[in-house]
Amino acid sequence: MNMSKVIFGFFVLLALTLNFSFFLGEIDNPDHHNVYELSAALVVGLIATIMKLGERSQMSAMLLASSLVVDLHLLAAVGVWVMSVHVLDVGLTPAVMASIVSLSGGALLANLLSVVLLTMETAGFSR
Amino acid sequence: MQRSTALLFFRRMRVPLIVLVSAYSIATIGFTLMPGEDAQGEPWRMSLFEAFYVVSYTGSTIGFGEVPYEFSKAQRLWTMVSIYLTVTAWLFSIGSILSLMQDPAFAQAVRGARFRRAVRNYDRPFYLLCGYGDTGRLLTRTLTELHHPVVVVDKIAEKMDALSVEAHRVPVNGFCMDATLPDNLVAAGLQSRWCMGVMAVTADDRVNLKIAVTARLLNQRAAVYARADEAQVAENMRSFDTAHVVNPANEFVRRLRLALTRPHTYRLYQWLRSSPSAEVPDLVDVPRGRWVLCGFGRFGRAVYRMLCELGIEVTVIEEDTSVDGLPDGVIAGRGTQAETLEAAGIARAAGLLATTRDDVDNLSILITARGINDALFTGALCNRWSSGTLFRAAEPGFVGQPGALIAGTVMSHIRSPLLEQFFDRLEQNGDELAAEVLQRLAPDQVSSQPEFFTVRVSKRRAPALHALIEHGLTPTAGLFQRDPARPGKRVPVEVLMLTRGDEHHLLPPADLALESGDRLLVACPAKLARRLSGLVDNEAAAYRALTGLEPPKNFWSGRPDKAAT
Repeated sequence: MNMSKVIFGFFVLLALTLNFSFFLGEIDNPDHHNVYELSAALVVGLIATIMKLGERSQMSAMLLASSLVVDLHLLAAVGVWVMSVHVLDVGLTPAVMASIVSLSGGALLANLLSVVLLTMETAGFSR
Repeated sequence: MQRSTALLFFRRMRVPLIVLVSAYSIATIGFTLMPGEDAQGEPWRMSLFEAFYVVSYTGSTIGFGEVPYEFSKAQRLWTMVSIYLTVTAWLFSIGSILSLMQDPAFAQAVRGARFRRAVRNYDRPFYLLCGYGDTGRLLTRTLTELHHPVVVVDKIAEKMDALSVEAHRVPVNGFCMDATLPDNLVAAGLQSRWCMGVMAVTADDRVNLKIAVTARLLNQRAAVYARADEAQVAENMRSFDTAHVVNPANEFVRRLRLALTRPHTYRLYQWLRSSPSAEVPDLVDVPRGRWVLCGFGRFGRAVYRMLCELGIEVTVIEEDTSVDGLPDGVIAGRGTQAETLEAAGIARAAGLLATTRDDVDNLSILITARGINDALFTGALCNRWSSGTLFRAAEPGFVGQPGALIAGTVMSHIRSPLLEQFFDRLEQNGDELAAEVLQRLAPDQVSSQPEFFTVRVSKRRAPALHALIEHGLTPTAGLFQRDPARPGKRVPVEVLMLTRGDEHHLLPPADLALESGDRLLVACPAKLARRLSGLVDNEAAAYRALTGLEPPKNFWSGRPDKAAT
């Protein structure tokens, strides 16, 4: 067993699960979506991105690309949150919450692709 | 092989970046958990946004103080933790970046990437030069004077450092790498469409052979010029269509033989096959008689064979008597000593040749021998370009420097591939012809070297001449010597050779009619080169030069191929 592979898989998977747990719930209900979950998803997503940097194969290039998409989506979601709550003071209205959650939904898709690609690579490796 | 420095950078920076992200997120989350109080004394906790704000200015050691409200004890405790955490993480990351920048492997990769980019961006013909010794330096200087960029590859770092501080007229990119690896040559632009030629001029025959093979296989269009010291290697190179193979010893002998047998041909040959700034050498008068040859190395042996062929009696002086192929009657010893020279009969000899591997020895031999016999004709081998000044001061009758021999020969081949055939042809004719060519090219003895212009009479290479022939006119070899602007006046342009099929006509008469498929070697002063190419490309100019008249109206529209359509 390769420890670095475990850590790599762990972060990629954790990014997906955290993202999913934030996404879960009614789309416009602020009580269903915790800000800590969102920030944790972003941080883990960033770490996963950094771990994918500097790889060469075609598969890892795709992994890196999907990871960058995740970061972009989550940063946009965090940006919307910060702007509406702290800068513009409109608060977490259903409309704001819906846009944050839908942005994280996009990130969820990219995260899912990451995990699928990683699984495919692993399956291909054993062959 | 694709090597990206950005990828290398990120690969090395992975751990520091992860440490940084983790430290920031721990510090941020920690702040939101610490209980605090607002201005009214109500319990208050930071939001993630405020926490990240505090961590951002703390971590970068800017420190705005305690905002938005004064911190509680718990928050101050966490501030301390986050300061040590984030500042340490920053130091670690910056330290990693700095050590990466100073890493020789990384610096090499960055240089390599910059080199490849520079080579890729060439947009005009350049030459790829392998080996930066005496020959390489001379070739680089000459090529850059002709405004050709040069890519230099050599394995020795010091030579490339020397190159990087030299000033050239056009960009010269030097890279320190092993030219025997095909990938390196490709990186150096071997497969670029602008790569005009590859020069393998290292001191090692195997390396030159490998470069020549690689160049031949990976780029059929680039001409390959190679140095070969061994006859077998030279044969091998010629067998796969290397444009030009130079053997320094053979070239030395060829020039010496010309000096001995055909003084005018020698002057012409030596002049046109040296650097473009060279002057016409003086006429040498070699006395007949016995020769003394010092040194029986590669050069000495070749010279010995040539002198024997000419039927000249030779006495050889060689220190190492175990050398193969030494002739009978060899004098053992060093030519630098008067006794040895006297034993070889220097007092009664006509000529002396110093061809040892050591320049100081060669000079010493010259001086000692002259001390004994004042009327001696002296010739010497100047091994290193750097000793050239000493040899010029010693004024031997004949001197050959291998680097200059190779560079001069390769350059003359680049300036016109027909020159080789021209000289071969010239050697089959009498020496008077060479004297006449010399008289025409350099009437005042100090003229600078002419430009050579090689043209093939064909629709593609010389459309104007081709059009004249199609219209029933007969352009002649003298066409080039007429000035279209001032009819009747002769310009100093010489047609040196006309090649038709396998026949070569030296100095063709001015009224010789040109035919399709002829190849011409034309020499002209540098300032007229542009005019000549105009003559070949511009139909009206060619017509004016041929007839001295303006072409009649509708002359070209009555072109046979157009009339047919």
